[in-house]
Amino acid sequence: MEFRSQKIAYWYFVAALPLFLLQVVLGLWLAVNYTFTVPQSVVDVFPFATARAFHTNLLVLWILLGFMGGTYYIVPEETRSEIYSTALAYVQLVALLLTGVAALVGFAFGWTKGRPLLEIPFPLNLVVVAGALIFLFNVGMTMFRAKRWTVIQGTLLGGLVFLAGLYLFGIPFYRNLVIDWYYWWWVIHLWVEGAWELVTGSIMAFILMKLTGVDREVVEKWLYVEIGLFMFTGVAGTGHHYYWIGAPSYWLWVGGVFSALEPLPIMLMVIDTMQHVKRRRTRIVNPLVWTYAIGCSILHLIGAGVWGFLHTLPQINYYTHGSQVTVSHGHLAFFGAYALLNLTTFYYAMPKLQGVAVFDDRRGRIAFWTMCIAMMIMGLTFGVAGVLQSYIERVLGMGYMTAQSYMRLWMGVTLFAGVFFLSGVVLAVTDLLSLKPAKVAAIKV
Amino acid sequence: MSKRIAFWIFLIGTLSSSALFLFLTFDTQRQVEALSHADRIDDRVIAGKRAFQKYNCNDCHTILGFGGYYAPDLTRVIRRVGAEGVRYRVTDPGKAFANGWRKMPNQHLAAAEIDDLAAFFTWVDGIENGDWPPQDSRKRLSRAGERLVASAAASPGAAVFQTRGCMSCHTLHGAGGTFGPVLDTIGARLSAGQIERYVQDPKAVNPKANMPAQTGLTDREREEVARFLSSLK
Repeated sequence: MEFRSQKIAYWYFVAALPLFLLQVVLGLWLAVNYTFTVPQSVVDVFPFATARAFHTNLLVLWILLGFMGGTYYIVPEETRSEIYSTALAYVQLVALLLTGVAALVGFAFGWTKGRPLLEIPFPLNLVVVAGALIFLFNVGMTMFRAKRWTVIQGTLLGGLVFLAGLYLFGIPFYRNLVIDWYYWWWVIHLWVEGAWELVTGSIMAFILMKLTGVDREVVEKWLYVEIGLFMFTGVAGTGHHYYWIGAPSYWLWVGGVFSALEPLPIMLMVIDTMQHVKRRRTRIVNPLVWTYAIGCSILHLIGAGVWGFLHTLPQINYYTHGSQVTVSHGHLAFFGAYALLNLTTFYYAMPKLQGVAVFDDRRGRIAFWTMCIAMMIMGLTFGVAGVLQSYIERVLGMGYMTAQSYMRLWMGVTLFAGVFFLSGVVLAVTDLLSLKPAKVAAIKV
Repeated sequence: MSKRIAFWIFLIGTLSSSALFLFLTFDTQRQVEALSHADRIDDRVIAGKRAFQKYNCNDCHTILGFGGYYAPDLTRVIRRVGAEGVRYRVTDPGKAFANGWRKMPNQHLAAAEIDDLAAFFTWVDGIENGDWPPQDSRKRLSRAGERLVASAAASPGAAVFQTRGCMSCHTLHGAGGTFGPVLDTIGARLSAGQIERYVQDPKAVNPKANMPAQTGLTDREREEVARFLSSLK
C-alpha cells in the first residue's frame, strides 16, 4: 500500500465478500425450488420471485462494491496522489450498504418495482444515484487534481460514468412493455457488455502491468484495441435482445452479426494476458493472483464468449430464448467475467491492504479450483436442462410443466454442484478476510 | 501497431457502433407504435402492467422471454388459457396448483386487479414479435396443439374446451391444469350423453365430485364439448 487512502478499498472489499456469500446461499435456495416441491405455506410467505430478486440484486451490489473498491485502490497509484476525500468515500459506502439492506427488507415485504434485476423502488433509486454522483465526483476530482492522465485512468473513469448514466434508463415507469424492455437492456446489456467491460479491461490492465512489469505503453495499447472492439461489437450487439420483443426485424441482422463478433475482444484479452505473463519482467510474488487472473480470462471467454455465441444467432435463439440455456450462459459469464475479476482484484490488493507481503495461498487455491469446477458443472447441467426445455417445450410443444419434470433431475444435479460451489466461496471469503503470511515464501522465477 | 493507431481503433469502433445503435433506436421508437399496437394501450392495460409489476410476477414468469424462468411465459397466456384461465389461477393458486409439484404464491389480488392483468395480457398477446414463443405459435404448430387445433377445426367442441376454462383444471395431451383428471382417453370410458350429464351437474352423478357445475355453458356448447370429449379414445 503506497497511499494511505487506498485503505478505503479494504472496507469496500470487506463489505462485498459477505454479500457474495449470501448471494450464493440464495442461489441454492432457488435450486431447491426447482428440485423439490416447496409447500404452499412457504411459497406464500417467501416466493421464488423474492428469492430471485435477492440473488440478482446481491450480485449487482457486491460486484459494484468490488469495482468501486478496486477503483479506490487503483486511482491513487495511477494518479500518484491521495483520493480527494476519504470521508466522502466512506459516506458513499454506508449509503450504498443501507440502500442494499433497505432494498432486501423491502423485497421481503413486497416493496418492489417488479422489474427483474431493477426491482429497487424509486426512493432507493435516488439514493443510488446520489451515491454514484458522490463516487464519480470523488474519483473525478482526484484525477483532475493530479492531472497525470493515463489510458487506464481514462478508461476507468469513462466506464464508470457510462455505467452510472445507463442506470438512469432503468428508473422510469414505461407504459409500453416493448419500450420497457428496450431500455431495460440499455441498463443490463450495455452494463455487462459495455460499461462493465471497460471497468474490467482497465482493472485487469492495471493488475497485469503491476504483476508482470510489462511496459505501460504495451499494456495500454492493447487496452485501447480491446475496449474499441468491446464497444464496437457490444453496443450494436444489444440487438440480440431485441429479436422477439416487438421491435423491427432488422435487429435480427444487426444483433446476429455484431454479437457473432463479440467473442473477438475477449479472445484478444486472453491472448494478451498470456503474452504479458510470458514476457514478464518481475518475479512472481503471489502466484495465486496469476491463477485467478488467468482463470478469469479463460472463464470469461468460455462463459461470455462461447456460451453467448452458442445461442445468439436468431435461428437458434428462437428456441432457446428465455430458457435455462440463458441461465447457463448467465451463470458462467457473470462468474467468469465479473466474480473472478473481483476475486482477482481482492487477491491482488488484500495482501497489501492487510500488510502481508507473501501470503499462504493453500486455502485460496483450493477455493479457486472448487469454485471453477463447480461452476463449470453448473454451466453444463443448466445447459442440459435448457436444451431439454428448448426441445420438449418449444419444439415438441408439450407444455411447460411437462418439460420441467424432465429437467428436474438436472436442476437437482445443479443443486448438488451448487453445494460444492458454496464451499469454495466460504473458503475464499474466509481466506481473503484473514490472510496469513506464507511460512516458506513461494517464490518462483 | 502504435498506440496512436490503437487509439483510433478505439475511437472509430466506439463511435461507429454507437451511431448505428442510436439511429436504429430512433427508428425503433417510431416503428414500435405500430408493431405493439400502442393505440390499444388504455388505462386498463396500464393498470394491468402496474399490477404485474406490483406483485413481482416477472421474477418467476417470463414475458416476451425475459424474467424468471420458474414459471410459464406469459406473452401468449391469453391465447393459451384465456382470461378465465388467468382469473382462475391468480384468484386461488393454492387450489389451482394443489396437485402440481410447483406452487404459485397467493398474493390476494383484488378482482379488479385481476381484470386489469387480463387486459394487459390481452394487449401483450397482440404484439407482433416475430411469432415467439414457438410453443404458442399458430404457424409452427406443436404436436399437442396441432391435435387440438386440428380437432377444433373439425369439432367446435374442442374450441369450447380450449376457451371456456376446462383446461384450467384438465390436461389434454400434456397441456392444461393438474387439478382435475387427465382427459386424453375419456371417450373410452364415458359416452357423450354421460359426459354431458356430468358437466351439467357433477354432484348429481358423484356426490364427492370437486368439479363445479358448468352453468356458464349454453346447451349447445355443452353438447359440443361432450361430443368432442367422447371422441377421445
